Amino acid sequence: MMKFAIIFIQIIVLYGIYLIGEEIRTLFRLPLPGSIIGFLLLFTALMLKIYPLRWIESGAHFLLAFLSLYFIPATVGAMEYGEVFTGKGVWLIAIVLVSTLITMAVSGLLSQWASRSADQRRGS
Amino acid sequence: MDVVLLSLLFAGMTITAYLLLNSLYFKYRWTLLTPVLTTTTIIIILLLLFDVSYEQYMLGGQWIGSFLGPAVVALAVPLYKQRDLLIQNLWPVALGVISGAFVGMASGLLLAKTFRFSEELILTVLPKSLTSPVAMQLADGFGGIPSLAAVFVMVAGFSGVIFGSWLMKLLGIDSPIGRGIGLGSSAHGLGTAMAFEYGPEDGSMSSVAMTLCAVVGSFLGPALVWLFF
Repeated sequence: MMKFAIIFIQIIVLYGIYLIGEEIRTLFRLPLPGSIIGFLLLFTALMLKIYPLRWIESGAHFLLAFLSLYFIPATVGAMEYGEVFTGKGVWLIAIVLVSTLITMAVSGLLSQWASRSADQRRGS
Repeated sequence: MDVVLLSLLFAGMTITAYLLLNSLYFKYRWTLLTPVLTTTTIIIILLLLFDVSYEQYMLGGQWIGSFLGPAVVALAVPLYKQRDLLIQNLWPVALGVISGAFVGMASGLLLAKTFRFSEELILTVLPKSLTSPVAMQLADGFGGIPSLAAVFVMVAGFSGVIFGSWLMKLLGIDSPIGRGIGLGSSAHGLGTAMAFEYGPEDGSMSSVAMTLCAVVGSFLGPALVWLFF
């Protein structure tokens, strides 16, 4: 029971950080999503040891365990855009496919090259 | 029927279907059984069958959707726990993530522009290599269509999972860092699940790359939109 209370409170804290992020976004008219601002706030607070990990860890794990649930209501909205994929829109699927593979190739090759050249410099 | 009751029904229906299909996925671990895909399909079929509009469904759906923002904030926790891996590999991670976030957005934008798609659709495709919750919020901010953005995110994920192992073999990407960052930067959550099948180091790298790409993409995306539109 205690464990659930802790998870519940920590989720409320996460919600609070998100709302702070949204508030900052509106206040400074930033193009960043409020959730990313909240993410950066929490990450910075954890790194600087301002906020201890154990005060947020179980809530975050619980919330992330069901991450894909939260965007299902949005993906269901695709039912209203069926006509996009009839006709020319089908090409968008091919575009996304090609673009995804280019992205994987570039980021995979560059990071592998960078890590190997770093290893060589270290002499290993 | 009462609005509150109807909302509860739709929210309950979504959660129940998700939990059932999620356990089905964990039983067989087959990519096509990814819970977002199966749950979405079943709910769309149910709504069409009972002649319920999306607007009515969202009375309950929005309750569930409201967890998206806090969930993105929560991503800071797994990233923080992998900070040692991140710091040890700072240069390869930074290079892979920044190039991945940039190429992911720019290539989609240029291809869609070449094929003369409407501005609204281009802005919807733009964040497709980022994790869904962030991609949807970005698409919304750009003036794209968030629910379609989530569909393109899924298409990107499936493309990466289906062709990833072939492509990486072809290009000689055979280290945990190369595979993990390649998959995480291009195919986000689905790619990360696949990276874990290569090994725990691939998986951790992929999840670090996925999270950092979402952050970098949130800065780069608006800049690209400002440049091109």
